[in-house]
Amino acid sequence: MMGKNFIPHRIAFYIGIIVIWQIISMVGVWPDNIFPSPYEVAEDLAYGAADGSLFYGIATSMWRLSIGLTIAIAGGVVLGIFMARVEVINQTVGSLVLGLQSIPSVAWVPLAILWFGLTDAGIIFVTAIGAIFAVTINTYTGVKNIDPHYIEAARNMGAKGGQLITAVLIPAAFPYMISGFKQGWAFAWRGVIGAELLFSFLGLGFLLNAGRSLNDVSQVISIMIVIMGIGLVIDSVVFKRLEDKVMSRWGLR
Amino acid sequence: MTKLEAKNIVKYFYHDSHKLEALGGINLKVEAGDFVCLIGPSGCGKSTFLRIIAGLEKPDEGQIMFDGHPITETGPERIMIFQEGALFPWLKVQDNVEFGLKMAGIPKNERAKISNRFLDMMQLTKFADSYTYQLSTGMKQRVAIARALVMDPDVLLMDEPFAALDAQTRDLLLVEMQLIWEKTKKTILFVTHNVTEATVLGNKIVIFSNRPSIIKKQFENNSPRPRVTEDESLLKLQQDILAELRPEVKKSRG
Repeated sequence: MMGKNFIPHRIAFYIGIIVIWQIISMVGVWPDNIFPSPYEVAEDLAYGAADGSLFYGIATSMWRLSIGLTIAIAGGVVLGIFMARVEVINQTVGSLVLGLQSIPSVAWVPLAILWFGLTDAGIIFVTAIGAIFAVTINTYTGVKNIDPHYIEAARNMGAKGGQLITAVLIPAAFPYMISGFKQGWAFAWRGVIGAELLFSFLGLGFLLNAGRSLNDVSQVISIMIVIMGIGLVIDSVVFKRLEDKVMSRWGLR
Repeated sequence: MTKLEAKNIVKYFYHDSHKLEALGGINLKVEAGDFVCLIGPSGCGKSTFLRIIAGLEKPDEGQIMFDGHPITETGPERIMIFQEGALFPWLKVQDNVEFGLKMAGIPKNERAKISNRFLDMMQLTKFADSYTYQLSTGMKQRVAIARALVMDPDVLLMDEPFAALDAQTRDLLLVEMQLIWEKTKKTILFVTHNVTEATVLGNKIVIFSNRPSIIKKQFENNSPRPRVTEDESLLKLQQDILAELRPEVKKSRG
């Protein structure tokens, strides 16, 4: 684990960045509307918070993300288990999954627009499909790596079919599946913002695009900071905790 | 009464496309309440034989009869205890022990009643809420035994369960195993490569030959119990077993 506490270093580092940023903007190499000062960005954030547009944007994006990610996790876990347990599915569907995984989420946007129109469903589709294959592949790896004695012991003690999946395969593969969820979340977050940029209706991606069309660089930067902040919080609060809990229960750390 | 009967069990292994005969026709009768130790050179297929009885593998020829009926599948009346225990690391000790009961749909409070009895028997009560990584190897095997006994099987199939234990822990468990057997009247098949262990535990000791394995010889062992590893009354039997075993071990290395 971390032997030393680096939080003071971290705080100093970020203060340093803000100070340098402020100095560059004060020197006036670039005009304010191209390179706003940290103060202007903060002002923009405060403005967005005050009129509620920022929170509404966050809520919209998070809502789309959670539905898309839920679909991706449910679908990816089922698909991954079937690929790991049924070789013919692995050889057929599995090869397609590997191919589809290489398509970036935003490349699904044109198809989503044609299929779903400029709707929430289209954005959720892009979010889900961007995340599902990472969940699938990690679940597959996790199930493949289960100690075969666990499965034999469970079968011997009467676990069958669905019971075997819920009582053994999923918990035994869970340490791998968490990595899949984590990757899936990262892909979903990129997917939802990317899709919102192009669909351009509500959400943080929309606010980003709105900033661009208004030539408002400080809005663009402020929204980017929000996107980063949410990413950090979810990573460290949700996934880090989940990971720590499972790892310590298994005695892996 | 015959509890288990192996009729001409043949099993092949496939290794780089060539066929290896592991079991060359095993015939064995096990009476209800027998404590049978199976011993043989490593790689002779004694563990495979145990797995076939458990229904985890199918023989290429022959049949296992349980209470006069051929077995085709794994079942809770024949519970296997694995060398490494195969405990579930995502469950607490108590939930590990209750696993089979839960699969059978037994309600929670009833499960707790049954599992508490066996946790107590195996001196695990203090560890009921521990996860398995917190236990020593010996403790893990106690949990594995409790988890098997909870199922109330007719037959316990034990695949070198004490092989990874230190000597002191093993000696303790050898005595406890005899007490469990006397208390529960289970039929036990116990695979080992340790002659002392076999003579301490078994009232029958079955010698497997080198591959393709057949049963070379069976010994009866009626020394009084509880036996311990340093019992001198077991020495003669141990020498007789070693005399049978040595040429097989040599062949397996040749």
